[in-house]
Amino acid sequence: MIRRVLLNVMLLIAAAVILVPFLWMVSASLKRNNEVFTIPIEWVPQSFQWNNFADIWERIPLGTYLGNTVLLSVVITFLQLLTGSFAAYGFSKMRFPGRDALFFAYVATIAVPWQAYMIPQYIMMRKAGLTDTLLSLILLQAFGAFGVFLMRQYYQTIPDELCEAARMDGLTEYGIWARIILPLSKPALASLGLLTFVNTWNDYMGPFIYLTSNDLWTIQLGLRSFVGQFDADYAMMMTGSVLSILPILVIFLLGQRYFIQGIATSGMKG
Amino acid sequence: MAQQKWRNTLVGWSFILPNFLGFVIISLVPMIAAFGLSFMEWDSFNAPEWVGLDNFERLLRDESTKIALWNTTLYALGHVPLTMLAALGLALLLNRRLAGLGFFRAAAFFPYITSLVAVAVVWNMLFNPEFGPVNQFLHFIGIDNPPGWTTSTTWAMPAVILTSVWRDMGYYMVLFLAGLQSIPREYYEASKVDGATGWQRFLFVTLPGLRPVTFLVLILLTVQSFKVFDLIVVMTDGGPGRATLVLSQQIYRQGIIEGEFGYASAISFVLFLLVLVLTLIQFWFNNRRERS
Amino acid sequence: MIRRRMLAAMATAVAIALPVSACGSGEEPAANGPVTLSVSVWSLASTPEFQVLFDAFTKANPDITIKPVDILAADYPTKVTTMLASGDQTDVITMKNVIEYARYASRGQLLDITAAAKSDTAKKLGGLDAFKQEGDKYYALPYRQDFWVLYYNKKLLEAAGQAFPTNLTWDQYVELAKKLTTGSGQSKVYGTYHHTWRSVTQAISAAQTGGDQLSGDYKFFADQYRAALALQEAGATLDFGTAVTQKTGYASMFETQKTAMMPMGTWFIAKVLSEKQKGTTNVDWAIAPMPQRPGSSKITTFGSPTAFAVNKNAKHSAAAKKFVEFASGPEGAKALAAIGIVPAYSSDEILKQYFALTGMPTDEMSKKAFTPDKVNLEMPVSDKTSKIDTILNEEHQLIMAKQKSVEDGIKSMETRVKNEVS
Repeated sequence: MIRRVLLNVMLLIAAAVILVPFLWMVSASLKRNNEVFTIPIEWVPQSFQWNNFADIWERIPLGTYLGNTVLLSVVITFLQLLTGSFAAYGFSKMRFPGRDALFFAYVATIAVPWQAYMIPQYIMMRKAGLTDTLLSLILLQAFGAFGVFLMRQYYQTIPDELCEAARMDGLTEYGIWARIILPLSKPALASLGLLTFVNTWNDYMGPFIYLTSNDLWTIQLGLRSFVGQFDADYAMMMTGSVLSILPILVIFLLGQRYFIQGIATSGMKG
Repeated sequence: MAQQKWRNTLVGWSFILPNFLGFVIISLVPMIAAFGLSFMEWDSFNAPEWVGLDNFERLLRDESTKIALWNTTLYALGHVPLTMLAALGLALLLNRRLAGLGFFRAAAFFPYITSLVAVAVVWNMLFNPEFGPVNQFLHFIGIDNPPGWTTSTTWAMPAVILTSVWRDMGYYMVLFLAGLQSIPREYYEASKVDGATGWQRFLFVTLPGLRPVTFLVLILLTVQSFKVFDLIVVMTDGGPGRATLVLSQQIYRQGIIEGEFGYASAISFVLFLLVLVLTLIQFWFNNRRERS
Repeated sequence: MIRRRMLAAMATAVAIALPVSACGSGEEPAANGPVTLSVSVWSLASTPEFQVLFDAFTKANPDITIKPVDILAADYPTKVTTMLASGDQTDVITMKNVIEYARYASRGQLLDITAAAKSDTAKKLGGLDAFKQEGDKYYALPYRQDFWVLYYNKKLLEAAGQAFPTNLTWDQYVELAKKLTTGSGQSKVYGTYHHTWRSVTQAISAAQTGGDQLSGDYKFFADQYRAALALQEAGATLDFGTAVTQKTGYASMFETQKTAMMPMGTWFIAKVLSEKQKGTTNVDWAIAPMPQRPGSSKITTFGSPTAFAVNKNAKHSAAAKKFVEFASGPEGAKALAAIGIVPAYSSDEILKQYFALTGMPTDEMSKKAFTPDKVNLEMPVSDKTSKIDTILNEEHQLIMAKQKSVEDGIKSMETRVKNEVS
């Protein structure tokens, strides 16, 4: 019992330390802009500018940006989960020639830096008439090796015997994927979904390059619009950042519940 | 039998195709184009010009690129093992029934979603040579000449590595947490019956059960370390001098800023090859261990 | 066989993903009837000058409407480069700085507007020279021209019993800054604040000594570095390492009265004016000329123009040219001066209008600071500029963070420029 309390206290201290930059963010969001970067840091604002949280909705069309970001994040996450887990099944539970080589080549492409092919990609998309559409970003981010790789690694931990048994029972491969593997991989799906959602939500360079019309912008673009040529409104930026974290927090708390079967609890003495 | 093989191949491909098709059209084509560009000179507007291996020769002579390559390697050497340990530790710690579990997990994940500007400012403040708490603590424990961290060419890289470990550990914790769920409960129960201690169970049940996930994390971490960009740009922007200049930054500068896309592609190609070799080695090791 | 297939794949990819040939320009017949002109701008919402210009222009040309293409300031060049690479048809492209301008111009991405640059109006444009390209050709016209002055906080100087700065030499400036430094910790007030940009030291010394930042010989930086380091040593300015790592805002330093003086560009005037109007600061300020080298009787400073150019692929090039000329001409200047922006076009009338703005200091010295004898370009333009810029910046950090001595820093600037820039 005492150990438990002690552990909790230690965790609380660790969490507080880890959260220091976040606290700075919150503090900055309640300041006047010219009070944000002071030497030394002032943790408590001289006067609390609660109106920042109201003003930001007037300064930028945050509602529109929020809507676009939600749309992009949800669609891209859904497509990643669907195509990623589907392809991962092919790569881990089916046997056919060239499978491993293809998988390796696939994973290797994660290593190509985006800065290198960003412009050719843009030119291609423009030729297809897709620039300045949300569709371009969906296409850009919904397919890729990351989700496939992630799901494939989790499928590796599911014993092949399960699939064999299902085949004996006359299930097709698609049936096995849908009825056996998917339900078993909920924690993996939750983690892929969570990470994809967060990455799409926070992506800046992709939307920046592809979206020109203001009514298509995402939150991250909205936040950076507070940076001008010679100066920046960091107080507003932090206000927006704090607001934009809230939806992620909800997603995280929903997603992380899939990580509790308490297995390791019985494994390690707690 | 041959027919069975054919069928398998077809069905296998049908699984892969939806994702693969999208990937090939959207990303692979421009990647190959970029690869082609590394043998050309291109200003992004006029028609590219074939120059053979000139870009690669230039790369061998370019001091900044060599420094960036070295810095990137250093960064990866620090970032990969430390993040791995921190993420695994967090996952094990936070995979138990505990009051406020959701809060602690969220706290561990928060660094990853905190605005980079906030990260840069606060960590630089912590590392400030004069009034930063890190150095005050070092003074306190009797170190007279604590390092200058982000203002010093020697210590900027360690400071950046520490910050990035702090930032990324929650991200990889999520992967480990999901991995821990897939270890069958029976293994633990069986080992309990055998009278294994907690440590033994960790070594002989948890770690082997996590192997596919550990492999995933290792590869992703390696790749992401070699591609590091955002954090460095906001925290030190490669400085002081060139002390934390990394390859992605060099690619960005040569391509977008200088307008020499052929040369930038050549650097990207080298970065890709480097990561490819490392990944190959890891795959090879992993396959050997899986078989044994 | 495999190699041939790979080459074929590569060629196909290149063909799909790169422009095969530069697109022809969309020259249109004389602009008649309503036209929608697209103009690339940065951070429209926080950069009022654009809207002001657009309003003035559409009022004078009712048949033209303007559609701004809003691009975030922080990564403006990245997006413009990408857009132009893909054959984008945005009509007017704003040139954020001269280095980028030179690059677009030399690639042939901008329309030749030499005729407009040689008109009588253009003679009154400050900073026009910066846009001269090979063969005496111009591809952009500046609409604003910012240059550097010394801002000071009247209250802080009075409190320290010091006279307001007039024609200071650098030594006098250093001494004054030391005297103005007071307090410690939270209540510390610095004598002056040098922002982290290399120009604060390098561009001003180039302008005042006649040194050339592209020359590869940088001994002329030495005096200025000694002055800057002396200030830092005495604690009379925020130390460089802290300023860089804490992302110190120069506006914050001045507006929250943490510094008594500050060398900075004239773009800051519009900012202080609007902050004071909003009530977020009550700093009582004025400007003086930049400190000079001993023995100089003239006021020399440096500056950087901002310009509009016409895209070669513009859909409406005639209307676009019209806009560029309007913005840089007297009417554009009037609109800009009304919100505190320093227009490139200068005349007595504009100057009078400028100093009549509410909140502007009206003393003689401020007016004198506003009409320097010579404004050098911040950084000369050539195809080597951006490479040298990177090197000078990296070595600047090392000197200011005391990782290298002034001599060693200058020496490595020289060797690096010699070896790495070809």
